[in-house]
Amino acid sequence: MEYKGKKKKAPVKKEVEVLGETFEKGRPEGEELGGWRQKLESREEKLRYLQTGERYWFDKDWYGSERRKNPA
Amino acid sequence: MAEAETKSIDSASVKMIEKAVRDGVNTAFDRAETMKPCPIGMVGSCCKHCGMGPCRVPLPKGREETPEEKQKRRGLCGATAETIAARNFIRMVAGGAAAHSDHGRGVAELFLAVAKGEAPGYEIKDEQKLLQVALDWGVEIGDRSNQEIAIDIGEIALSEFGKQEGGVLFLRRAPLKRQELWQREGVAPRGIDREIVEIMHRTHIGVDQDYRNLLKQGVRAAIADGWGGSMIATELQDILFGTPAPVLGRINLGVLKRDEVNLIIHGHEPLLSEMIVVAAQEPQMLELAKSKGANGINLAGMCCTANEILMRHGVPLAGNFLQQELALVTGAVDVMVVDIQCIMQSLTTVAECYHTKIITTAAKAKIPGAIHIEFDEHNAMESARAIVKTAIENFPNRGKNIDIPEEQTDLVAGFSHETINYLLGGIFRASYRPLNDNIINGRIRGVAGVVGCNNARVKHNENHVAMVKELIKNDVVVLQTGCSAIACAEAGLMTPEAAAKYAGEGLASVCEAVGIPPVLHLGSCVDNSRILMAATAMVKDGGLGDDISELPVAGAGPEWMSEKAISIGQYFVGSGVFTVFGVNWPTLGSNEVTEFLFKDFEAIYGGMWAFEPDPIKAAHLMIDHIDKKRKALGIDKARERVLYDMAMRRELT
Ligand code: SF4
Ligand code: SF4
Repeated sequence: MEYKGKKKKAPVKKEVEVLGETFEKGRPEGEELGGWRQKLESREEKLRYLQTGERYWFDKDWYGSERRKNPA
Repeated sequence: MAEAETKSIDSASVKMIEKAVRDGVNTAFDRAETMKPCPIGMVGSCCKHCGMGPCRVPLPKGREETPEEKQKRRGLCGATAETIAARNFIRMVAGGAAAHSDHGRGVAELFLAVAKGEAPGYEIKDEQKLLQVALDWGVEIGDRSNQEIAIDIGEIALSEFGKQEGGVLFLRRAPLKRQELWQREGVAPRGIDREIVEIMHRTHIGVDQDYRNLLKQGVRAAIADGWGGSMIATELQDILFGTPAPVLGRINLGVLKRDEVNLIIHGHEPLLSEMIVVAAQEPQMLELAKSKGANGINLAGMCCTANEILMRHGVPLAGNFLQQELALVTGAVDVMVVDIQCIMQSLTTVAECYHTKIITTAAKAKIPGAIHIEFDEHNAMESARAIVKTAIENFPNRGKNIDIPEEQTDLVAGFSHETINYLLGGIFRASYRPLNDNIINGRIRGVAGVVGCNNARVKHNENHVAMVKELIKNDVVVLQTGCSAIACAEAGLMTPEAAAKYAGEGLASVCEAVGIPPVLHLGSCVDNSRILMAATAMVKDGGLGDDISELPVAGAGPEWMSEKAISIGQYFVGSGVFTVFGVNWPTLGSNEVTEFLFKDFEAIYGGMWAFEPDPIKAAHLMIDHIDKKRKALGIDKARERVLYDMAMRRELT
């Protein structure tokens, strides 16, 4: 799933690009209902998701409450 | 109250118990009346580990035993009542861990065959989970194909079972503090099979005769199950069949259809059932069904296989452990196909009273009187077609004595750890933060894992439903698996609407905001590993301590009966979770062993066992524990949410 950008007027610059909608239009039905994993298509997207969504295990510099120098 | 109504809280089951009586069919409900459990074996005071026994060492009835009596309470070999109770207990752990782990091994074998292209019909459905496990196990990803990565994963998975040293790899997923504790206490499993075999060795006559040391090995083998065999089964099944996501399903005996071929899939492994789901949709099968006068082919699940195919395909669920015979009593089941675990041998006898055919499929689980169609992973589709065909051809043989109860309930299933994470944060910032925040601010009091079986010694489903209702009423969100999940789904607790009806105000408001039920279905028995992952994610997200034992969480098995349930409870406890079981407790024959499990375990593992047959009292033990943990975290005040008026504010300053 791609990030969607949105152009907006800004006071100093003429225009800036900000993050647009992060939801999809409509309501999923049938098999689609709840099927969120299909939204990640390429391997890069999947790996990126693992590093952010599953950061508890896979983000190199974010250990949450367990931030420590020496792993157990 | 009619006799049958004392046996189940589920009206569909009551009707079928009554019909069974009318039809002269003997079921587990009758056998529970005519055969009472042996009071000595029930509390772990009987040993038959050698040919000089069985030795029975019961506590004196209704009074304290004297020191002299205690001295004499020994088996012929001199084993004390403590040793005997502890040996029995950890043999249960070994049985359960072996069952889950051998299931995991079966999945790993199929997985490797799929990776090598030797199992036609199967494919890798969830690349993301494949990558996740590759990252976990340090398998190179780079530009390699999914097949290449999967071969490495399959080989590593299989070697996890037989390895001697080096530790089970998924232990690294646990909170760091927990990993340190396991290392320090010497309970980090070296390999999966090794810990189970070592239990069999240490419980042989004349080996380990210190109950503390025996129980410690029980923890090690159970961890090898939860963080090893079961977790491998869950993860590899997800890669092959897809990680579950929310799906709407229907549940209870009412899902059987009068005008369609009814094929029930019962047992535990999703390996063959996934293929049956495909075969039953093939046009030639539907044609064949029509030619026999049926309007279609209706698949339904039973026990944990049901949970697996429900959460991946929305296949309806006919019932849990104590409903397996009752499904046949409807007279409308054309085939019941079974694989492994929790399959009553009496099915073939019940089936004889109707037209139903029982088909066994696992080389390691045959039943006399059943048809055997062996599942061959290299030719799974053929086995699946043969089974579906047998069901269709049996449809015209249905007798007149058919009665399908109308009861069926909606449920939403499919809450894997990954999906909970996604639901709480969305694809751009999946997170457990909202859960932790709502625990900290007190809307959610804590989290409970309520799991396990049915037990014919207590009223079917009653303990599960009563306990879970009490928990959610007190703002405790409940995660479920196995037959316990089925019980609560039948009672209507797994729909988003259940939040407004049954949950406390705080929990209901969170459920409404996220759009989830207050009781989440996480899958089958091996999927208790998903609960471990959810608990770990809560720890790692921060704000609730740095180990599972610090979380405001608790576990329960209110109607447990299988050895697998004991193994699950033991790995919950070994992972730091307070866990309460109902019905009976298998070490009550030794006060020391029971004390050790109920009290001393807490000082060692941060989690401990408890026994409470009353489900409401048990729920309150869990809530008290959750409150104790909230207090230790300093978040107990948040729950009170006192609104200060001006006078109170002035007083503060
Ligand atoms: S091992 Fe000891 S307690 Fe057990 S049956 Fe043999 S003699 Fe009896
Ligand atoms: S929960 Fe218990 S009875 Fe149900 S399938 Fe699992 S082990 Fe068997």
